Amino acid sequence: MDETSEDFGPGPDEAVVDEMLATARPRLRRALKRIERPRARVAVIDTAIGRLLIADGPRGLIAVKYLDTSDGAGALEDLRQRFDLEEDPATAARIADEIERFLKGDADAVARRRVDLSLVESEFQRRALKRLRTVPPGSVVTYAALADAIGAPSSQRAIGNTMASNPLPIYVPCHRVIKSDGTIGNYGGGIARKLKLLGAEGFRADRGNRLPGTAVYGHWASRIFCRPACTSVRRASRKRWLIFGDSAHARGAGLRACKICHPA
Amino acid sequence: MEETARLEMPPAFEEAMRRHEREIMRYILRMTRDREDALDLFQETWLRAYRAYPRLDSAAGLRPWLFRIATNLCLNHTRDHARRARVISGEEFEAGGRADRAGTGGSPDGVIDLRAKIGKLPNKQRQALVMRKLGGLDYGEIAAALGCSEEAARAGVYLAMKKIKGAE
Repeated sequence: MDETSEDFGPGPDEAVVDEMLATARPRLRRALKRIERPRARVAVIDTAIGRLLIADGPRGLIAVKYLDTSDGAGALEDLRQRFDLEEDPATAARIADEIERFLKGDADAVARRRVDLSLVESEFQRRALKRLRTVPPGSVVTYAALADAIGAPSSQRAIGNTMASNPLPIYVPCHRVIKSDGTIGNYGGGIARKLKLLGAEGFRADRGNRLPGTAVYGHWASRIFCRPACTSVRRASRKRWLIFGDSAHARGAGLRACKICHPA
Repeated sequence: MEETARLEMPPAFEEAMRRHEREIMRYILRMTRDREDALDLFQETWLRAYRAYPRLDSAAGLRPWLFRIATNLCLNHTRDHARRARVISGEEFEAGGRADRAGTGGSPDGVIDLRAKIGKLPNKQRQALVMRKLGGLDYGEIAAALGCSEEAARAGVYLAMKKIKGAE
C-alpha cells in the first residue's frame, strides 16, 4: 500500500485478517452451496480433425465445437451462464486421446463416453440425437430414416436442423446422416470432415460423394441386410434402412445376410 | 502441449477466491473497521460476485470488478448506517460517524474526521478515493472498476484529496 494511505488510518493487522478469513470461509462456503451452479471442465484440444472446444459436465460431455467453423467464444459464453467452468488439461488429454483413437479406427473410443443432452431444449431434438447414437459405426442413415425412427416420419427437415445444431459432433454421430438421394449431404464442420469421420469408421463414399457400389441395406428392426436391388428393399419403405458401406460392416454390427438376395 | 490454445475467460470462481479473498478482507476491514460488519460485507461481496460471475468477461477485469462490488457494498453500508444512527440519536451524524464503535482498536480523531469528509464527496470521487487509498488499486484498475478513463480516475482521486485537505 502506498504511503499516503496512512492518512486513512493503519491497515488491519495480518493476524486479524487471518482470523477473520478463518471465520468467514466456512460461512461463505455454506452460503455458496445453496446457489451453486454445476461444474464443467473445458479445454481447447488439437486433433487430427481440427481444433476443438470441449466441455465435460457432471453428467457427461456437454459440448464439442469445431473452432474454425463455429463461434467458440459464443459457445463458451453460453456455457458460463449455466456452469462454473474450469480449464482442465487432464480432461482435455483424455478426450483428445479418445478422438485420436476414433480417427484411427477404434469406433468404440467415443461411443463409450457418457453424453449429456439436457442442454438441448427441444424434446424432439433430444430424441433424435439419442436415437442417432444407436446408428452403428460404419453405417449411415438418411434424414428421412432418422425422422421415421423417432416416430415423426415427415420431419426430415427438422432432423436436418437438429443435426446442424448438434452440440456434440463426433460423439453424437451426425456425420452418419446423409441425404435420401444417396449423396453424403452437408456437415457443420465441412464436408471434408464428414468424409474423414466416415472414412475412420470404414465407410467410404464414391468419387461423387455418393453411396459406394458395395453398399448394403440393413433393416433396423429385423437385423437383416440386403443388396440394394433385393425385392424386400424395394417393397419396404426406403425410410426403414441403415446403409452400410459393405457387407463386412453390416456383419460387424451384428446383422445377418438376407436369404433371398445373398449379399456378398 | 504448448500449441494448445488457452481459453479467454476468467479463472474458475474458486481460483478467484483463492487469489483475492485476503486483499478483499483487508480492504473491507479497513473500510468498516468493525469485525462483524466486515464479515457480513465480505460474505455479501463474494455471494454477489458468484451470482454475477457469468457476466464478468475477462480475466484482467476480475480484480477491479471485485473491488467495485466490495466498495459499493461498504459505501452503501456506511451511508445506511449513518442515516440510521441519525434517526435513532436525533443528532447530525456524518457518514462514517460510527468510528466510536471501535472494531480494530481505537482510532485517532483525525481518522474520524476524514471519514466524515469522505462521506460528503460525490459518489465517483468517493469510490475512486477509497479504492486508491484503502484498496491500493492502480488508476487503470480504478478506471476499469468505475467504467471511466484512467485520467478521470486520477482526477477523481486528486479532486477528492483536494476537497478533504481543503476542508480542514
